[in-house]
Amino acid sequence: MNRPEKIAVYCGELPPPTFIDRLIIGLANDGFKLVLFGTLKRKFNYAKPSIKVIGTAGKWSQIRQLILYTLLLQLKKPKQKRKLDDWIKQRKMAKYRARLKFYPVLYQQPDILHLQWVKSIGEWVWVKKFGIKLVVSLRGAHLNYTPICNPEFAEIYKQYFPLVSRFHAVSNAIKEEAIQYNLNPNRTNVIYSGLDLFKFEFQAKTLSTDCLQIISIGRSHWKKGYNYALDTMRILKEANIRFQYTIVGLNEEEELLFQRNELNLEQEVVFLNKLPFDTIKEMIRKADLFLLPSVEEGIANVVLEAMALGTLVVSTDCGGMKEVINDGLNGFIVPVRSPQKMADAIQSVQKLDKKKYFDMIDKARLQVEEHHTEERMIKGFRELYRSIYHERK
Amino acid sequence: MSESKHIGLVLPNVPSYSETFFISKIKGLSDNGFIVTLFSRGKKTKHFKLCPVVYLPVFDIDKSLFWNILKALGLILANFGQAKKLFQLNRNDGFSLGEAFENVLINSTFLQYKLDWLHFGFGTMALQRENVAEAIGAKMAVSFRGFDWYVYPIKNKNCYCRLFSKDVKYHVLSDGMIKALVSKGVKKEVIVKITPAIHVDLFKNENFSIGLQQLNLLTVGRLHWIKGYDYLFQALALLKNQAVNFNYTIIGEGMENERLIFEAHQLGISNNVRFVGKVGHDVLHKYYKSNQIYIQYSIQEGFCNAVLEAQAAGMLCVVSDAEGLLENVEHNKTGWIVPKRNPEALAEKILDILALSTDEKIKISKAATERVKNNFTIENQINQFILFYQ
Repeated sequence: MNRPEKIAVYCGELPPPTFIDRLIIGLANDGFKLVLFGTLKRKFNYAKPSIKVIGTAGKWSQIRQLILYTLLLQLKKPKQKRKLDDWIKQRKMAKYRARLKFYPVLYQQPDILHLQWVKSIGEWVWVKKFGIKLVVSLRGAHLNYTPICNPEFAEIYKQYFPLVSRFHAVSNAIKEEAIQYNLNPNRTNVIYSGLDLFKFEFQAKTLSTDCLQIISIGRSHWKKGYNYALDTMRILKEANIRFQYTIVGLNEEEELLFQRNELNLEQEVVFLNKLPFDTIKEMIRKADLFLLPSVEEGIANVVLEAMALGTLVVSTDCGGMKEVINDGLNGFIVPVRSPQKMADAIQSVQKLDKKKYFDMIDKARLQVEEHHTEERMIKGFRELYRSIYHERK
Repeated sequence: MSESKHIGLVLPNVPSYSETFFISKIKGLSDNGFIVTLFSRGKKTKHFKLCPVVYLPVFDIDKSLFWNILKALGLILANFGQAKKLFQLNRNDGFSLGEAFENVLINSTFLQYKLDWLHFGFGTMALQRENVAEAIGAKMAVSFRGFDWYVYPIKNKNCYCRLFSKDVKYHVLSDGMIKALVSKGVKKEVIVKITPAIHVDLFKNENFSIGLQQLNLLTVGRLHWIKGYDYLFQALALLKNQAVNFNYTIIGEGMENERLIFEAHQLGISNNVRFVGKVGHDVLHKYYKSNQIYIQYSIQEGFCNAVLEAQAAGMLCVVSDAEGLLENVEHNKTGWIVPKRNPEALAEKILDILALSTDEKIKISKAATERVKNNFTIENQINQFILFYQ
């Protein structure tokens, strides 16, 4: 066999987030058989027979799944079942929870198990004993701050990273960061996240003339750094800049509501709940500036989307953002946690003449077209999976 | 006292022993012949022995719901007069039939108690319970704390309208809060300020190490955005950039532990910052004694006991201008007040303090200890509460 056929993808929660979803469909189109594991948050299905979803929703379906796979394994692979049971016992894990999670994977016996979230690596190393290759994605928070805030994870990573057949890193930055936890750079492929550019048409842009329209998009989490964005807006207001700042994806966040109120920004700053994809796309198009105030990211997909849609980006220098944005050329990069610098950058965008603005967004679009297409991403994963088999030969 | 007064105190949780305010209040009142019953919405605990505790049922949709409703109906039947009164009062407030009945159901636990006072320990605890005191023939008291006034209404606009229309005696922690309530139409005569208090002697510190060259900074407070650590860390990063050598200790735990550890890491100050977690009161004294500067750079603060304790221990206190802190520390006399959300100003103030002569430091330290000793003792607080309930 010179290429793997069956790949199991472990996501945690199903349906998977869009970036994993795109990957799964792409790989299926490429001829791979895929099995998705995780906890079902709602029912969903892929129209393709080559994608199988194995998930549980609620107690009853867990019990059903546990009984089903216990029986199947007992009948068809009793020896392997015993071997796995022994491993679970040795590790002193909660027995039934572990079996529920592991049995379907053992039964499916994929060529590769691809973990989307590195934090769970310690639970999955057993697959090596059954000839299943382990591929792990390094996507952001789980590597960038989990081991710093919880040193026990640093130890887990150091112990298990050498057992991983291949790593997928979403940026060079995260690959470099992971070396301290015994990641082997020669066994790591950096694959940038890719967009379906047909869905992100680049259109002629009209800029607002008197009131700068700024937008941020993303769920409410401290790592998104919205508190710094609001401090930035205070500086802009004090400098008598006319602007409107909209954050999409927030759900009544007390801290930010309080801050907006205290900084007297209720006229200038709007918080919106999650919105449908098409609405968000239109909002990004209409904005003059996309702001990413995050303190941690892999590479933020929304930034790629804004660049594809032709809205100039001001981003903090976190994660791999510098690999996408070349400061002053196709966007602006500012240090993390620095409201003053962020305000300065926003003011430089405001002062850009039209020609320069359009030149920069052209370059931004080009950056995405060259490095962040879906085809490129799928190709990257195809190569990654195959390289495991080439190595072995 | 002819007959002992019965106070019902409504709190979100049974207070842990580190919550000096409620613990000393309950103890002080009991010692002075009051009967206190605690009503708690929180989890049951066996450790609390200061007074009887009544747990308010939570009507969650789970298997306890049926029994809770059944029990509530039983209580309504057994105390029909009070229930009927509550229902009518609710109707007078414009509740629909269903709402008025639901409110009786939720508050049925209170109906059987004969209290002189029903005291809600937080403004938010009085919401949806505005008519309970009158229905059971008790007087109603409400304490307003920082969170009640400055944070909760941001998401829940005008939530105190109904409360303010009732006959209530208010307890607040600061003059700032008196002004806030008066601005909403509450009469000044019904508001009483009783500040928090501490066991001053516990924090006495004879050999205060004020002259030490190593800069040791301390904060006691849960890890929560409201405590303003973001800005404080930025200030510390500024100090570090100026090659100031310091150690900063945070005592407290909370949800935002990851956020803050990562922040310290990213700002390059993780070697200077120590997260100690929660410690018992007995250990806490040692921290007050072994550090020189106490910082409370909160975004919002009702009053803050920890700052009182730090002053009692003779620490040099730097605080933000968040509400209650303005009255906790006297600027330039017992400590320093810095505008909030302003890391540059905070860093500058710390440098200023470093540059003070030992005599000047000792002067501030002594004044702080003296002021706390004269104004914020538990005895004082209890006497004020006894008057409050008369």
